Amino acid sequence: MNSRFSSEDLEYIVSLTLSIAVSLIMGALIMIANGRSPMVGYGALIRGAFGGKYSIANTLAKTVPLALTGLATAISFRSGIFNIGGEGQLYLGAFAAAYVGITFTALPKGLGMLLAILAGALVGGLYAYVPGFLKVKYKIDEVITTIMLNTVAVLFTSYLVNYPFAPAAGKLNATEIISEQFHLSRLIRLSTLNTSIFFMGFIALFMYYLMEKTSAGYDFKLVGQNSLFARFGGIDDRKQMLIAMVISGSLCGLAGVFEVLGVHYRFLQHISPGYAWDGMLVALIVKNNPIGVMIMSIFFGALKTGSIAMENATSIPSELVLVIQSIIILFIAGERGFKDKFKEWNLRRRVGQKAGERNA
Amino acid sequence: MGDKLIQVRNVSKRFPGVLANDRVNLDIERGEIHAIIGENGAGKSTLMNIIYGLYEPTEGEILFEGKPIEIKSPLDAINLGIGMVHQHFMLLPSFTVAENIVLGTEPRRNRIFMDFKEAVLETQQLSETYGLRVDPYRKVGSLSVGIQQRIEILKVLYKGADILILDEPTAVLTPQETEDLFGVIRNLVEDLGKTVIIITHKLQEVLAISHRVSVMRQGKMVGTLNTKDADERVLAEMMVGREVLFEELHKVELPKEEVLSVDGIRARDNRHLMALDGVSFNLRAGEILGIAGVEGNGQTELVEVLTGLRKMEEGTLTIKGVDAFNRTPREIRKLGIAHIPEDRLATGLSREATIWENLLMGVQHMEPYAIWGIHMNKGKIRERTARLIEEFDIRTPTGDILAGSLSGGNMQKMIIAREFSFNTPILIVAQPTRGIDVGAIEFVHKQIVEKRNAGTAILLVSADLDEIFRLSDRILTLYEGRITGEFLSGEISKREIGLYMTGKHMDSIERGGAYEQ
Repeated sequence: MNSRFSSEDLEYIVSLTLSIAVSLIMGALIMIANGRSPMVGYGALIRGAFGGKYSIANTLAKTVPLALTGLATAISFRSGIFNIGGEGQLYLGAFAAAYVGITFTALPKGLGMLLAILAGALVGGLYAYVPGFLKVKYKIDEVITTIMLNTVAVLFTSYLVNYPFAPAAGKLNATEIISEQFHLSRLIRLSTLNTSIFFMGFIALFMYYLMEKTSAGYDFKLVGQNSLFARFGGIDDRKQMLIAMVISGSLCGLAGVFEVLGVHYRFLQHISPGYAWDGMLVALIVKNNPIGVMIMSIFFGALKTGSIAMENATSIPSELVLVIQSIIILFIAGERGFKDKFKEWNLRRRVGQKAGERNA
Repeated sequence: MGDKLIQVRNVSKRFPGVLANDRVNLDIERGEIHAIIGENGAGKSTLMNIIYGLYEPTEGEILFEGKPIEIKSPLDAINLGIGMVHQHFMLLPSFTVAENIVLGTEPRRNRIFMDFKEAVLETQQLSETYGLRVDPYRKVGSLSVGIQQRIEILKVLYKGADILILDEPTAVLTPQETEDLFGVIRNLVEDLGKTVIIITHKLQEVLAISHRVSVMRQGKMVGTLNTKDADERVLAEMMVGREVLFEELHKVELPKEEVLSVDGIRARDNRHLMALDGVSFNLRAGEILGIAGVEGNGQTELVEVLTGLRKMEEGTLTIKGVDAFNRTPREIRKLGIAHIPEDRLATGLSREATIWENLLMGVQHMEPYAIWGIHMNKGKIRERTARLIEEFDIRTPTGDILAGSLSGGNMQKMIIAREFSFNTPILIVAQPTRGIDVGAIEFVHKQIVEKRNAGTAILLVSADLDEIFRLSDRILTLYEGRITGEFLSGEISKREIGLYMTGKHMDSIERGGAYEQ
């Protein structure tokens, strides 16, 4: 309580930094093995992610869906209910926003936007409520139901765009363009960065406050750590899990909404290249810490944007970034074991030294 | 007896920030029962884990039959004939008894498939040789704790152990099961020439079973005595380094107003068997009502029903005049019940949360700890945490460390601090001193009696008869989900009450026809 970080947190930050450093070194070795210069490769990647207004804008644009789905994962995992259905919730949320944007064309700008956003959040939340309810009421494993509901949502929206909502011009694997007043304004020329970044910032602040500073956040965390203890202590653990699930679903829905209102201006059959999965990785890496999710989303966003620039400039394939991401995950998964080994080694070294001193 | 089998020489073990063993010396002689006692955190388990090869000592050496050896893993220990039964059993609940016993060194058919028949045969032979009766076909998950422990011992014997290390074997056992276990141990040592090292902190047990006893305190070996030269007071002093124990608890008499009444409760256990079959009693302010019984006779379910964690099928529960039939734990707490649960790790705390978070449970939505029931007021929470740590003598540098890093006794003090701080009119206290050390037991008992003297109604459920006798004003015996007797303190001996706890009085009473339902 006294200091900002506990010693466990600090240790974790050190481990995480080391993991990222080692994975970047591994990436460099792969480049060298393929006869490329890592200096050139990483140079292009960094320039692509942060070199200039346009690049930074693109990085931030990629951050929006990662952060939202990352926070969605964080709140649900922390509460001990595992929402793996973010992708499906994102698709339905996106479609709901597009539907509002196509249908209610007479609404004024502010009101229409609000309606689209609420519709997306509501649909995402409801779609998460179903597996959440099945979990708390009938103990049906939410991991399995949410994974399966992803496929249902993706295929259902793909049916919708190709049949009932196919544009008049013919099947485009997309809906009509949403009406003008639903478009979020772009912030930097040529980049897709738009005002949804401010919504995201507000949501991130709210989630941080909720998870770290409120009594409700305490309830979420304690239910996730030991639901029996929470119930014993007077928390309605089932209700708490269900709420976490719905919040999680809404956030994923919102990630979809902003893709439609800010980036594509229509619903696409393949609107997400797996944002929810990346968001989940982000949350896992930082152990569901909301501040960590924000930082790591920017980092992942930069890797994504930078890798494309790197491929264009140096013909090093952008997939290299996937390798780097995977290595980070691998290290983080083994973090505990590595840390214990290191501590033991360190201890032995120190004890050895002391014994040596005594002998001398 | 006589020759030195294991000699521990100046062994130290350092963990980050803790010196768990500080230049410890210990001799184990062939064919003896050697008890190792000490408070929680005295380093007993660490020392045994070193002998069993789970930890490597930071300094020092171990001699086996006079020769220095290195025990790098449990495999080395097993090859030397050393076997260990851990405090927390390492059994697979969904496997049969036979499968659990042979696990790791299963008899094979064609080198690939496990030979189940052979495993059963070996289990039967083993259980005959050692006089430990088990049913090889039963699933371990469906067996009682006492039987599971028997299986752990068989497992160790199956691997060819001559030296058995038992880590707090009686912590989870009833008095009857403990007697059985001691019979088994005596048989192993006296008739079969095994050597047994037993870790415990129950002094009566040390005196009852061991030949020699070694006392540890704060990582150091205080000394080894022949048990026949020791008594409880001597051992207790060696353990805690100061005089404690057996102080008379001061009780004040108060007007006794009924605050809780239970009538005809029926409830099922997790296996859907009837665990409570028409239980009725009442509880009054300013009294401690002890529930005595062999574990598994409905105590767990009774406490769960009373605290809202389990639904009842029939019956009434009235708390301070309010009907509390099948309320949620939250509503029950609001009606005025606080609860110290029997399984503190599973129910009483979150190991991954800090001490202040654990202490906050129950008041996290209340003023002044939550502003408008929303924003956590860290300043007030910090004040309360510091106050409770101080008041309940929780040994920790700060409230910011994880509860999981506390010792068992301090975890229990933390739980008691939280539950007592609510100042509820009713307290339900289950197994309050199970697995904690003498000093902490004394502290907990005093706290409970103080609460009683302040007018709280206390229901005490304990498998430890000494505890029941020491604290209770009134005692009920529970057998197979029914109340079999009610006694005032001092009215009955431990011996007699044992009959009520095992349902054996029924025969004599039925013959006399004096017992009325």
